[in-house]
Amino acid sequence: MILIKVTSDVTVIGGGPAGLAAGISAKESGAEKVIIIDRNNWIGGILPQCIHDGFGIEATGLSQTGPEYINEYIKKARNLGITLLIETMVLNFNNKLEIISASKKGLLKIKSKSIILAMGCREKTRGNLIIPGDRPSGIYTAGLAQALINLYNIMPGKNIVILGSGDVGLIMARRLKIEGANILGVIEILPYPNGLPRNVVQCLKDYNIPLFLNHTITSIEGKDRLKKITIAKVDKNKKPILGTEKTIKCDTLLLSVGLIPENEISSDAGIIIDSSTGGPIVNQDYRTTIPGIYACGNCLQVYDTVDLLSIHAKIAGRQSAINTLKENNNNINYADKKIIVKPGNGIKHIIPQQINITGMINFSIRVDEPKNSTKISFKLNKNEIFIKNLKYLNPASIINVKVKIPKFSKNNILEVSLNE
Amino acid sequence: MKNFHIAIIGGGVIGSAIARELSRYELDIILFEKESDVASSTSKANSGVIHSGINSPPKSLKAHFCVEGNKIFQSLAEELSVPVKFTGKYIIARNEEEIKDLIKLKKNGIENNVKGLRLIEAEEINSNEPNISSKYALFVPSAGITLPYQLTIALAENSIINGVKFLLETKIIDINNINNKYNIKTNNGLFKSDFIINAAGLNCRDIVQMLEEPDFKVYPCRGEYLVLDKNCNSLIKKLIYPIPQKKYGFLGIHITPTIDGNILLGPTFEYINNINDTKTTKEKMNLILKEVKEIIPSVNEKAVINAYSGIRCKISPPEYDRISDFRVENSKINPGLINLLGIESPGLSAAPAIAKEVVKIISKNIELSKKTKFISKYEKYKKFSDMTNVKKSKIIKRDTNWGRIICRCENVTEAEVINALSNPLGAKTLSSVKYRCRAGMGRCQGGFCTQHIIRIMEEKFNLDRTKIKLKSQKSNLFIGKIRE
Amino acid sequence: MNEETNITCILCPIGCEIRINKKELFIIDGAKCEKGIEYSKNEVFNPKRILTTSILVKNGILPLLSVKTSKPIPKEKIFKILKIIKRTSVNAPVEMGEIIIQNVLGTGSDIIATKTIKKFETS
Repeated sequence: MILIKVTSDVTVIGGGPAGLAAGISAKESGAEKVIIIDRNNWIGGILPQCIHDGFGIEATGLSQTGPEYINEYIKKARNLGITLLIETMVLNFNNKLEIISASKKGLLKIKSKSIILAMGCREKTRGNLIIPGDRPSGIYTAGLAQALINLYNIMPGKNIVILGSGDVGLIMARRLKIEGANILGVIEILPYPNGLPRNVVQCLKDYNIPLFLNHTITSIEGKDRLKKITIAKVDKNKKPILGTEKTIKCDTLLLSVGLIPENEISSDAGIIIDSSTGGPIVNQDYRTTIPGIYACGNCLQVYDTVDLLSIHAKIAGRQSAINTLKENNNNINYADKKIIVKPGNGIKHIIPQQINITGMINFSIRVDEPKNSTKISFKLNKNEIFIKNLKYLNPASIINVKVKIPKFSKNNILEVSLNE
Repeated sequence: MKNFHIAIIGGGVIGSAIARELSRYELDIILFEKESDVASSTSKANSGVIHSGINSPPKSLKAHFCVEGNKIFQSLAEELSVPVKFTGKYIIARNEEEIKDLIKLKKNGIENNVKGLRLIEAEEINSNEPNISSKYALFVPSAGITLPYQLTIALAENSIINGVKFLLETKIIDINNINNKYNIKTNNGLFKSDFIINAAGLNCRDIVQMLEEPDFKVYPCRGEYLVLDKNCNSLIKKLIYPIPQKKYGFLGIHITPTIDGNILLGPTFEYINNINDTKTTKEKMNLILKEVKEIIPSVNEKAVINAYSGIRCKISPPEYDRISDFRVENSKINPGLINLLGIESPGLSAAPAIAKEVVKIISKNIELSKKTKFISKYEKYKKFSDMTNVKKSKIIKRDTNWGRIICRCENVTEAEVINALSNPLGAKTLSSVKYRCRAGMGRCQGGFCTQHIIRIMEEKFNLDRTKIKLKSQKSNLFIGKIRE
Repeated sequence: MNEETNITCILCPIGCEIRINKKELFIIDGAKCEKGIEYSKNEVFNPKRILTTSILVKNGILPLLSVKTSKPIPKEKIFKILKIIKRTSVNAPVEMGEIIIQNVLGTGSDIIATKTIKKFETS
């Protein structure tokens, strides 16, 4: 036999915090055989490289480091008898819920009753931003620099500039400063920092690292190793303002300019992706547009904290298990009734994008700009069904709102918007 | 001092093609490349197009070598396991006025002996290329695509197998003619050779100047490109070109599918002062997107995953209003100095024919005898991602490193990275790996695989991390350890 | 003299902007929880932080052991403690939670392992 064939109740693609939370929840909800697949030679995703603290506060009240936080999950997964396949890369899967993966043992074909997508996200690169200039060495994404310094004992550079004030960038500013690097500045194109307030304080202010808001990089110079960059102020349309250019001599540039959910294999399988979240379109059960396939974690939407990510992943895990217990799995009858959820004024994205049931629904919402105080309104077929005051809204943080969905029939539209 | 029959200067596609062609004969050949790998300059940063020869002036060397090179390209690429695809090309007319230009081009092509040219109309264009809006186009069936750096690498590595010596990171400091034998001073020692083949590309004038007063100048002309994600690969199937600008031989910003499924947009056309200035500029990036959107309105800049530029070696000044030609000639002042000057586009397509021409020039001066054991085939493993499931399973059973995928975007395996690092040239930069097996060339641009490639370099090749380079000699990646 | 100051709480992702009277140490407004009140009072005169970094591991399957201070340490001691950490190395195996340096620099805080690192076995 050429392919190694395996069957499974729930197969999770990705062994990071989302995959582990979902897998554990699936097992605890009654799925007999659960497999978690990860491409690295460890389980835990990027958490083993996130050696800073601040994980798990919302869920447990304790502030743990990344490795400590994920260790609890790994232990639990092992104790529950979940199969953990490492150094295994999923090459593709299809709408019959067959997964083909490669590892040193060979090619594995897994036929599952449910699949959970938990592939995480990747960092945007220089190419995505189209930053002009030379192409020297010394330009890294912040996450790669984090892996190099925390996992491999590699110091990437000495005089460092960070583009983007996302959390990874802020954390890396502090981490590199602690290890003796000069952090010459964090450059942010927006008028406000893109990371959490506490990281601006404890990573930048604590170490007097300058933050250049409303700035961008206009040029990169260096034939071999990076020599200098040019930054400039930007106008309201984020276009560089002529005459405001300033050069900074540096040997390293870290990019922390955003994350892209990894869904190439999802799209290949025919799953429909929401262009505003970058992740699969899901319903209230985190089920994608292919029956039996669920999505969670950063491949569903980019989360700002692991706490909320885990809560949602657990729901996806539970639903995937319920699916396996149905006689006619893959064919849960969601009826023809459905609500299409639409992001309205001030809303960048919202999950779920579809609702098939009445009752309490958990919504994840990201706003498109910071607001001190505003109202959020849910209108089902133009009738307001829910309104709430919200304070200190930040595009960096996902808002979690619970709304009771009343009885509905046929096709409906739920519009969610911010009102001044 | 070591004696050679032939010293080739420059490991671009021209130098490497010549090395490989000459390695058929009983000759001692050495090739000097100043960078850390072959294909480090113009040969890696171009459109990767196998041209038909339609654009070059009739009776020019460009037309001749391009058409001849095109004819033998397929068989050469097959011998070397380098992918080629004769996709064909559409030169499109955007208005009635440009139809006249298409007719002129067709005439020019026929004169150059380009086969199969055909004017086509909207219906045929739309059925083959639905994303293009154009009423008329000239169909050029003999145009195609290849991977220029892989071709150069394969030519170089096959030459080594056939006995050519390659010296990387070796710069020519001076050359002296002593009774028509040449003493070559480099940073890696002194060498003696009967012939000097000047395939130094943008540096060709510097080499000439070491021996005689050059009768030409190099006018570097930069072309910038943008690379689109593979998920855009359904945009076009053929090469899509606008009508070329009449002057200078600039073909215009075109849209090129690549062998690997990405799409290239560009190049721009800009005379610059410094032959090493391969920067990209916001201005040209915007220009590329603007011009491409005129041809394909649905192109989205969010799909851009990379930008780069390459430099054309032009030997006629910007104000010269005709297309300048290649120069392939044996120096009259210094016999045995064979100069290859102004080899810009279509140099890649012409390379196989130029290499044969150089052999011809040499054979007029010395008697060449063929080796009995020339190994023409350069076999390479198929890419893991292109294998069938059965093949994948079998190869993993043979060597488990084929089952460890370390580049998530391109599904490149640890075995392929090890193979890339074991290259006969001894090139061991991050770029050497990337250009040999595509690890780091995908949409995450090395975000995931860099750490794994570094691990393999350290564990299996005993490289010191502070000495690992991105591409050039001084492009070190890291400064050291955080704890020792 | 302005007796008011703003402190951004770093205890959780909310990041409350707390207004505090520096002299009398009373909260004017902004704190959403008790911990935040405590934090902002400390922050005025004795700011403390958890320090996380790595220590060299010998014979481990990984080159570095991630560590943290068991309690927040005075901010001004961060670089002094780092000097000690840079001089320190441990031998694998190490268990998560193991104390690597006791009462570092007399702060009452220990340096503890936040990862388990097994010994590298040559096969």
